[in-house]
Amino acid sequence: MKFIFYVILVLLLVPLQTTLLPHVSVWNIKPDLGLVAAALTGLFAGELEGLLVGLAIGWVLSLFSAGELWLSLLTNGGVGLLTGFLGRQVSKVTSISLGVGLLLVSLASGLLAAMNFKYLDVSQMWWMVESIVLPQACFDGAVGAGLYWLLSQRFDVTRLRIE
Amino acid sequence: MWMVNSRVSSGARRLAFACFALLVAALFLLPGQIQGLLQYLDGPVGHVVRVPLEAIASIDAGIADRWQQYVVLQGVWEENQQLRKEIEWLRGQNNQLRESATATGRLTTLLQFKEQALPTMVAAQVIGRDATNRYRAIILNKGESDGIKPDMGVITPAGVVGRVVKTTGASSVVLLVTDPNNAIAGLIQRTRDEGIVEGTQQGLAQLKYIPLLSTLRDGDRVVTSGLVGGFPRGLSIGTITHIDKQEGALFQSAELMPEVDVGRVEEVLVIQTSYGQPRKAVVEADLLGKPSP
Repeated sequence: MKFIFYVILVLLLVPLQTTLLPHVSVWNIKPDLGLVAAALTGLFAGELEGLLVGLAIGWVLSLFSAGELWLSLLTNGGVGLLTGFLGRQVSKVTSISLGVGLLLVSLASGLLAAMNFKYLDVSQMWWMVESIVLPQACFDGAVGAGLYWLLSQRFDVTRLRIE
Repeated sequence: MWMVNSRVSSGARRLAFACFALLVAALFLLPGQIQGLLQYLDGPVGHVVRVPLEAIASIDAGIADRWQQYVVLQGVWEENQQLRKEIEWLRGQNNQLRESATATGRLTTLLQFKEQALPTMVAAQVIGRDATNRYRAIILNKGESDGIKPDMGVITPAGVVGRVVKTTGASSVVLLVTDPNNAIAGLIQRTRDEGIVEGTQQGLAQLKYIPLLSTLRDGDRVVTSGLVGGFPRGLSIGTITHIDKQEGALFQSAELMPEVDVGRVEEVLVIQTSYGQPRKAVVEADLLGKPSP
């Protein structure tokens, strides 16, 4: 059952990310739903599932991006693993704390991606950070916090995290 | 009160960390092998993902069409679309004619002028944009099974759109001409000086490595040179808007306004074979197909 849920999640993420999200982008920046989904999976299901789902998301999304496969695998898989690990270290997760955590994680993965661009000099790197990486990190944090808040309103998130 | 997630056993945790460490090591030590391994699965996965992707893309296009046709401006929109298509077509024609006129004078002086065959193209629809914000790319609804391969050029009747960089069985990713990672061999139509067209971070394009003695000026049109890459000669890339000539530099560069509005492109043509190639291919096919006398 869980496996089917994850397959549907991965399959639906592609059209959401590539077709629908460009309509709601702000200044041509859209949130990375793959990163948010990997983080929430890690938080609710633990490191192993977070890692595996993150890797699957990273791989499938990389098929529909000009970006490199290894970067997509590392960032999404790493985020699933990291949130699974961090989720166990904090006793209380709120929308705000999750949002801030996602912001930092997205910022780290964005910086890693920016450093991978070989043609960038310092000024171009700074431009990329302030006009793409930072707004996207804020967007990811806000979307993650919003999703978590919606889940916590609808379900008993404590139970979801423990069971 | 929230409680700590204690569901995951320590064995699973260790396994997760071990898997990740193994993956990192494999990606850095054997990047080619890992990519090769995953490429076997790209085709089937691409076909599976294509189903929801095309379904949602067609719903999205349908809603956008209805909205524009019936809600916003009923009659004017259709007329406008027709006129835009006509303008695009005429621009392409105009550009081709101008290129032909320039070339004719030069080529007629050459004794060994050969007739050029038209390139073979495949029409495709844009069904999405790059999954990340870091690349300017579009996703097409045709892929390897339709004969599309990496490095093929992508155009509209107005001019160059970009280059195919990745394909699955049923889709392909096109890196736009405005992406800084893209490089296309260009030619200033009036002066015949060559350079390399690259995208800029601001979403425009620039022509680099122009000879210092070139007499280029604002408003000059830049076309494909046809020397390298998947584009034939003479396809419009953009118009020069600003020239950058620095003291002591070996080359000058120029900013370009791309001919195609890549943010709004919906249908494209993928160039499968450039000028000259089809004829050879046809001849070879004829030779192979015909029974020996």
